[in-house]
Amino acid sequence: MARKDFLDIASLTREEVDLLLDQATPFKELFTRSVKKVPALKGKSVLMLFYEPSTRTLSSFEVAAKRLSADVIDLDVPHSSVTKGETVKDTVDTLQAMRADYIVVRHKMSGLPQAIARQTRASVINAGDGAHAHPTQALLDAFTLREVFPDLAGRKVLIAGDILHSRVARSTSRLLLKLGVEVGFLGPGSLLPLSGPEEIRRFTDFDEALRWKPDTVYLLRVQMERQDAQYFPGVQEYHRVYGITSERLDRIRGEGVYVMHPGPVNRGVELCHEVMDYERSLINQQVENGIAARMAVLYSLKPQTDLQDTDQGHI
Amino acid sequence: MRLFIKGGKIAAEEGPLTAGDVLIEDGVIAAVGEDLGAPPDTQVINAEEKIVAPAMFDAHVHFREPGQEYKEDIAHGTEAAINGGVTGVVMMPNTSPAIDSPAVVRSILERARDVSRIPVYTSGCITKDRAGSELSGIDGMRQLGVVMLTDDGDPVANPAVLKNAMEYATPFGMFFASHCEVAELSGPRALNEGKVSYQLGIKGSPACSEEICMDRDIRLAYAAGARIHIQHVSSAIGMETIRWWKQMGAEVTAEVSPHHLMFNEEDIGDYDTHYKMNPPLRTAEDNAALLEGLKEGVFDLIATDHAPHSKFEKEQDFVSAPNGITGLETALVSLHDRFVTSGQIGWDLIVKRYSAEPRRMMGLEVVPVEESKPAELIVFDPGGETTFSREFMRSKSSNTPFLDQTLQGRVDLVVRGSEILLQR
Repeated sequence: MARKDFLDIASLTREEVDLLLDQATPFKELFTRSVKKVPALKGKSVLMLFYEPSTRTLSSFEVAAKRLSADVIDLDVPHSSVTKGETVKDTVDTLQAMRADYIVVRHKMSGLPQAIARQTRASVINAGDGAHAHPTQALLDAFTLREVFPDLAGRKVLIAGDILHSRVARSTSRLLLKLGVEVGFLGPGSLLPLSGPEEIRRFTDFDEALRWKPDTVYLLRVQMERQDAQYFPGVQEYHRVYGITSERLDRIRGEGVYVMHPGPVNRGVELCHEVMDYERSLINQQVENGIAARMAVLYSLKPQTDLQDTDQGHI
Repeated sequence: MRLFIKGGKIAAEEGPLTAGDVLIEDGVIAAVGEDLGAPPDTQVINAEEKIVAPAMFDAHVHFREPGQEYKEDIAHGTEAAINGGVTGVVMMPNTSPAIDSPAVVRSILERARDVSRIPVYTSGCITKDRAGSELSGIDGMRQLGVVMLTDDGDPVANPAVLKNAMEYATPFGMFFASHCEVAELSGPRALNEGKVSYQLGIKGSPACSEEICMDRDIRLAYAAGARIHIQHVSSAIGMETIRWWKQMGAEVTAEVSPHHLMFNEEDIGDYDTHYKMNPPLRTAEDNAALLEGLKEGVFDLIATDHAPHSKFEKEQDFVSAPNGITGLETALVSLHDRFVTSGQIGWDLIVKRYSAEPRRMMGLEVVPVEESKPAELIVFDPGGETTFSREFMRSKSSNTPFLDQTLQGRVDLVVRGSEILLQR
C-alpha cells in the first residue's frame, strides 16, 4: 500500500482493505507471545494530536505504536486551540518542528485531518473527525466480524442509534458495504439522515429491524451531550424504543444475533446491563482487535518525511 | 477623445446580436451603424468576431473596507470589477464597522472617489451593527444616496423589527434586500442538508431554512407595501416562491449567483472550501431549476456575491473556513463558457440580467450601446480564453473554484465615458 495518509474509508480500494485486514491477523497473534513487540517502526515517531478527549482510542493507538517500537509523543493540546484562531497551518508548522513521521489526529471538526494531511509530509491518521469518519474503528469492526464470519459477503449488520451524528456509523457502514455486507440503520427519525445512502435499509422500529434478520446488531453510544437539542424525549423512552432491553436480549439470544458497540457503553440507555455478559457480545474483542488493526494501519502507511526537507516539509 | 470600435456584433437586452461599428466622442456614443468609417484622428479598435455589449453591473459585492482590508478593499475590488467587464457595484454593509450610519457611508464614498475608476454604490444596514434590534441611521444614509437596506448575512430575526423598518423607510423611496435564512435551522455551517452533508459528517443547512425566511420577508414587504429584493436564491422551491409572489403582485425582485447555476454539493468533494458559501450549493436539480428560472424571468438579475477571503482562511478545515467565493472577475467569462457557448442562454439575457436590470433596481440609467447614450461598454472575444491565474486577478483574494482554470471567452476592452479602463 503506497498511501501516505489514512483519512477515511471512502478512498480505500477493496484490495487495500483486504491487505489491512490480513495484516492485522499476525499482529494479533503477537499479543499471545511473551514479547509483544516488533521493531518495524524503530526510530520513527508517532505524534498523538487529540483535540477531543479520548481514553480508548488514544491508548489503543499508543499501545499499537509502542508494539511497533515507535516513539510516541502525546501532545497535550488544549482541546480547542484550532477553533480559537490558530489555523491549521499554524498547527502544522508547530508539528513540523517536532519531526513526527506519523500524526494521529482527532478533532471535533469534520474534515480537519484532511486539511492537515494536505500540508504535511508526515502520515496523517484520522482517529475521528466530527461526524465524518473514524476509519480505524471501521477496520477493527470489520476485523472483529471477520473472526466470527470468515466470509462476510451477504451477512447483515444492523447499526442502531444516533446515525446522524456518528462517525462510527458512517465509516463502519461504508467499509462493511465494501466487503459485501448488507447494512441497515435503525434509529429515531430525528437521528437518521434524511437522504441517506440508498444501499442502506432504514428502520425506525426495532422489531421490524429484527424481522430483517440481522446477524449482528451494532449499537452506537447515545451522545448524552446532544440531549439539549431534543432529538428524542428522554433516555428512558430511548431505551424502551431503540435500546436492547432485557426482553429484546432474550429474542436476540434466541436468534443467535451478535452484539457490538464501539464503547464506552451507556448502561440503561442503548443497552441493558445484561448485554455486557451476553455470550455473543463482541465488545471486548473489539477493544483488543483495535490495537491490531491500528498496528496494521501504522505499518502500511508511507510517510514522506524522509524526502528532502528544505522547505520545512510542506508539500 | 474619439474611439471607433469596428466590425463588432452589438448585444442588447432584447433581440439578437446586430453587426455594427460604434463611434464614441467625448464619452458619448456618437453613432452606431454598419460601415460607418472611422473619422480622422480616431483610435480604432478592431472588434471583428467580437461582442460589443453594455458594461455589466454587479448589485452584490463585499469589498471588506473598512475593517478587513487584508481580504479586499475598494481599490482592488473595483479593479477586479473592471477586469471582469463590470463598471458599477453595490457594496454590502457587513464591514467592520458595519455600514449603518451616514458617517460610514460618507467615508466609503469618499474613499471610492479617491481610489476607484468606476462608481461604487453602497447598501446600508437595516439595524445598527446588523444586530437586528435598533434601526440604523436610515434618513442620513438616504441623503447620501443609499437606496438599498439590508442586514446582509444576518437577516433581521424579529419580524416586527423588519416590518417597522419597512414601513418607516418605504416612504423615503428605499427598498430592502434579504439574505434569507432561519438561523436556528441553518446553524453556522454552509453546506446543504442532504446526501453530501451526511457523507462529510457536517450538519447541513436545509433549503427550507432559506425558503421560510424568503417567504416571510416577501410576506412582510407585501403587508408593509415595501419593495423587496431577494438575494442569491439557491433552491428550486425558492425560485418557485419568488414566482408565486410575483404572480400575487408583490413588489419583489430576485437575483441568482453564477455559482448557484454552475455548481452543486457534489463539487465539494473532499472538503474543498472553494465550494463553501452561504446559501450553500444545493443539488443538480436545483442548478437546472435556477437556470430555467433565469430564462423565464423569475430572476431579475445576476449578481456574484463577490466574497473575498484570504488564502489562509480558506485553507482551514471546511467547517472553520469562512463562507464565500470571489466572482467579479469570473462571472461574465464563466457564464459565457458554461451557458452561452452551449446555446442555453444568449447575450440578450446576459445584458438584461447582468447590466440593465441591476441598474434599474438601483434607480440608475441603463447603458445600451445606442446613439447619444453615455459610453459604458465592453468588447468581449467569444473565441478567446481566460486563465484565472493569481497573476490575472486584480482582487486581493483568489478564493474561486476557477483558480488556475482556463475558460472560453475574454474581456478585451472596457470603456466608461471617455476613458479606456481596460484593454487587452
